[in-house]
Amino acid sequence: MIVGTADVEVLAKQAATIESFTEDAIQLDDVLCMQVTAEMRNQAREAVLPPSLHPTVPAALSLQVWCVGGSPWGAFDMAVTRVACRSGVRARGFTTAVVASSAVVCRGLRGIFGFPARIGEVSLRHGYDGVSAWVVDGGEPILRINAIDPEPMSNDDVQYTSTVNLAHTPQGLRLVQLECDHAITRVERLRASIESFVGKAWGNALLDPYRVVSASVTRSTAVYPPIRFVCKADELAFTGTERVGVSR
Amino acid sequence: MKFGIFFELSTPRPLARASEHAVYQNALAQCRLADELGFDHVWAVEHHFLEEYSHCSAPEVFLAAVAAQTRRIRIGHGAVVFVPQMNHPIRVAERAAALDIISNGRLEFGTARSSTWTELGGFEVNPDDTKKTWDEFVRVLPQMWTQTEFEWQGKSFSMPSRNVLPKPYQDPHPPMWVTVTTPGTELDAAERGLGCLGVSAAGYDEQERRTKEYHRRIASCTPAGGVINDQVHTMNFLYCHEDYRKARAVGVPMVNSFNVANAHLYWTREAYPTRAYQTLGNVGAAMKAKQAPADDPSVAKGLPEGVGVGDPEHLVRVIKRWESIGVTGINFLLNAMEMVPQEEVLASMRLFAREVMPQFRSKHEASQAVYTPAKMPVYAASGSA
Repeated sequence: MIVGTADVEVLAKQAATIESFTEDAIQLDDVLCMQVTAEMRNQAREAVLPPSLHPTVPAALSLQVWCVGGSPWGAFDMAVTRVACRSGVRARGFTTAVVASSAVVCRGLRGIFGFPARIGEVSLRHGYDGVSAWVVDGGEPILRINAIDPEPMSNDDVQYTSTVNLAHTPQGLRLVQLECDHAITRVERLRASIESFVGKAWGNALLDPYRVVSASVTRSTAVYPPIRFVCKADELAFTGTERVGVSR
Repeated sequence: MKFGIFFELSTPRPLARASEHAVYQNALAQCRLADELGFDHVWAVEHHFLEEYSHCSAPEVFLAAVAAQTRRIRIGHGAVVFVPQMNHPIRVAERAAALDIISNGRLEFGTARSSTWTELGGFEVNPDDTKKTWDEFVRVLPQMWTQTEFEWQGKSFSMPSRNVLPKPYQDPHPPMWVTVTTPGTELDAAERGLGCLGVSAAGYDEQERRTKEYHRRIASCTPAGGVINDQVHTMNFLYCHEDYRKARAVGVPMVNSFNVANAHLYWTREAYPTRAYQTLGNVGAAMKAKQAPADDPSVAKGLPEGVGVGDPEHLVRVIKRWESIGVTGINFLLNAMEMVPQEEVLASMRLFAREVMPQFRSKHEASQAVYTPAKMPVYAASGSA
């Protein structure tokens, strides 16, 4: 099986730090989430993932832009890029970068979930005719997506895979396995185009979402249960997985 | 109980031309031996672009070689993907009929719609459409095989009046099957009088529930063609050895390697929100399949219940259980990722044929007709019944 070949030490430079794992679930209310899935070329297949993870064939990138109405840190916006992968036999998305709208939110995302979050401007506009999103980082536009022709779908028709974040944890540098339960109340599927995307700003210049597969927007309540498992970044999940609080 | 062998033609990395050649040649040798030993079917899948998992993208070619190198085993074309971007229905009808002729009427014809984005996306197929095109093809194929003048104005394709040639050797046409990955597809099969070709893992209880409902529905089916095929076959693994521990030591890693490769496929549901794909392919079923009871020392730890890995006594017990819940055939994957050396695969087949198969065969069973002739449905050229 193919596995990631990225240098873990290089990846670790951007990694967040989780001082201690929280035992409480975190709830995000009134979440509007646009997800765009796009295929990438093989140059980004193994090269962007740590050796613990297996890329999908073809390589694929999930771009999510969230507008959150309520959270422990108040309302906020964020954009997340995740590379589709497998951890052991589980479908996952490996986070390469997160841009969020305030310093307080970034601290929360980094310290609780291990997201590699930084501050930027994030905008998500949802209308009856479509959805558009853009992200600006340091005055430079790094993402622009337009999606049109919304088509209502059933709440079960969209699939969110769980996330893995590389973070410094009490158990060392680990891939943090982050589940998220979405209680979805509305789903639309759209036709999207990625009008601009700066790979370097999203964690790796090799990221190349050249072919949009699908786009959806959902309204939900998102609940992150407490983190239960982490995995060594340079060891396959079959042997490298550890229960939180129990390192091997 | 029928016994088949089943090929994905998985090829481990490093991907090399010599490796693919070896996988194909090993599989052909296994087919020749299966023919000699009395196995009933050989099935080959159709998959595209699935690195390592399956390099079987032209099964009709592989199966033509099998037909030429064997005498009695039935040739399972399973399954042909029924989307027009991959297979035009006229070409499907022509190829299948030719395969039936050169095999002297040994063709079993499987139908499917593909489950991975890797494949559907590669051919630029809209996942929303695959159930529709599958249904259209299923109704059209028997007409092409049996009518001397056929025309069609359909949703996914149209054709003016032509005689699609050649006609199959079997009269009226080969038995048809549906591969069942997503739970519920067995009901689609039943309603159309098609055989249920299980390709995903399910425990005894779940399989029994599905089989009962399948048989209930097929009793009142509207046949898609001229043959009602009410067989329920499941996919399984085979590694048989006199020493149970040895069987487990070899067979469990083989099964696990297949399951891992399967879990790594990029399923359509993960990439594309759609009502047409409600599960993550085989993965969901495999995850839900019951683990074998830990207190049964003869059962391989770490495998779901009912897996054909063990000594002959264990395999007889497992197969009798499958038989008791209405399964009429089991198709075995003999190897995965070439984990098992070819000589051991062949030895496993020989031992199975010698010690296990005779427990499930009788002259009476062999003499029974398996398929029920049905009245051929007639469709208008506009595509409606």
